[in-house]
Amino acid sequence: MIRVRGLSKRYPGGTVALDGVDLDIAAGELVALIGPSGAGKSTLLRCLNGFVTPTAGEVQIGGATVSGATGEGLRLIRAGIGFVFQQFNLQRRLSVLENVLIGGLARTPRLRSLLGLFPATDLARARAALARVGLSGLEARRVDTLSGGQQQRVAIARVLVQEPRVILADEPMASLDPTLSETVLALLQRISEEDGITVVTSLHVLDLARRYGRRVIGLRGGRVAYDGSSEGLTEAAARRIFADAAA
Amino acid sequence: MGRAHWVGWAGILGLFLWSAAATELSASRLLEGVPYMLDFLRRMVPPDLSVLPHALTGALQTFQIAVVGTGIAALLALPISFAAARNVAPPWLFYGARSVLNVFRAVDTLVYALFFVAAVGLGPFPGVLSVVAYTATVLAKLYSEAIEAIERGPVEAVEAAGATRLQALRWGVLPQLVPQFLSFTLYRLETNIRAAAILGFVGAGGIGFYIQTYLRMLNYPAASTVLLVLIVLVMAVDFASSRLRARLV
Repeated sequence: MIRVRGLSKRYPGGTVALDGVDLDIAAGELVALIGPSGAGKSTLLRCLNGFVTPTAGEVQIGGATVSGATGEGLRLIRAGIGFVFQQFNLQRRLSVLENVLIGGLARTPRLRSLLGLFPATDLARARAALARVGLSGLEARRVDTLSGGQQQRVAIARVLVQEPRVILADEPMASLDPTLSETVLALLQRISEEDGITVVTSLHVLDLARRYGRRVIGLRGGRVAYDGSSEGLTEAAARRIFADAAA
Repeated sequence: MGRAHWVGWAGILGLFLWSAAATELSASRLLEGVPYMLDFLRRMVPPDLSVLPHALTGALQTFQIAVVGTGIAALLALPISFAAARNVAPPWLFYGARSVLNVFRAVDTLVYALFFVAAVGLGPFPGVLSVVAYTATVLAKLYSEAIEAIERGPVEAVEAAGATRLQALRWGVLPQLVPQFLSFTLYRLETNIRAAAILGFVGAGGIGFYIQTYLRMLNYPAASTVLLVLIVLVMAVDFASSRLRARLV
């Protein structure tokens, strides 16, 4: 489903965020991406949906080449990739339902979407997504009246409306307390299992990565330092990923 | 810190005392004035309600001047604000627009009224023009600050869902701007009611004409009726507007 070859990214300032990353992720896999801050986790995820243009290398998702895609081509690829953000990135003043409808914009007839006249099918899909994340009944609430955990679930419902083949999550629980983090991760895990959606999520808590990712990819200095099962991620292997990260 | 700190405070105190002396600040003169103030207030009661129709006509016109002036100002401010937003406009346009705004904002509504009365004659129309001139610059500044504060994240989320540029503008940018723009505009409407109330002093229409006329005629009961109507108008608009603004932001 996801194929990455020789992916490198050097930012204009000279910082090398990714340095020759090769990855193959199969359909339906749930992968935890770990590594110290600055290891390139965000850059990798943002290369996968075309937010960041790589300096070298190639990214393919579902056979479509993301790297180098622009305009309409990139837009259609993105429609099939859900992205969950650390800061939720919701429209705080809009209702829960409107925020979820944003996920389906690529399919909504253009003019109707600009006027805010969403077709019944869109509304039904948005309500179903909200039911799935356990937020039925909150459709009309303004997003800024919800708790952080509820807001992240709205963001996940927004992604579900896309009916994506891949969900990318960039530290989806870093703004949440530990209990809520579990809820959000369990939700992503369930979605991955039930719908066969490929999920790649970066996590800064090693323990959570062990429990929720069957496969763990460790990044260090923009390179893949570990790629294997969560059981195989020994203390020694973890130390190699995080070594001198504090320095 | 220490020494420069005290020099700074001494400077502020010096400036204040210098200005106080120049403005003839005097407690004794204020006390001497108290009987006259009480006399003034005593003459204002009871209000002469026979002039109520005049007061209401004037209040309505003041309200209309503020509404039309604020409305046109909002429309003018919209394009200017994008030119005056650092994150949207190229530097030459940004600095140009900001300088023009600062120059026009330096002059208040009443001064514009003197200018427009001379230019287009007496009545509410020069009043509208002067409200437009000042309010457009203030709103453009406020709008541009809202544009500069746009959060990238929610826009990015819309783009991540495969939305078109127009959809990203509609669902990523506008929800952040429209409530703020409306809120600023309502707030200016409130302040413009007060500004428009004194435009009549210089012949630019509205309730100020009646206040000034009755005071000149020493008809204090009539003036107090007009003032009461003005107070009710200002409070009503403030109340309605702040209720609306609370729901927006």
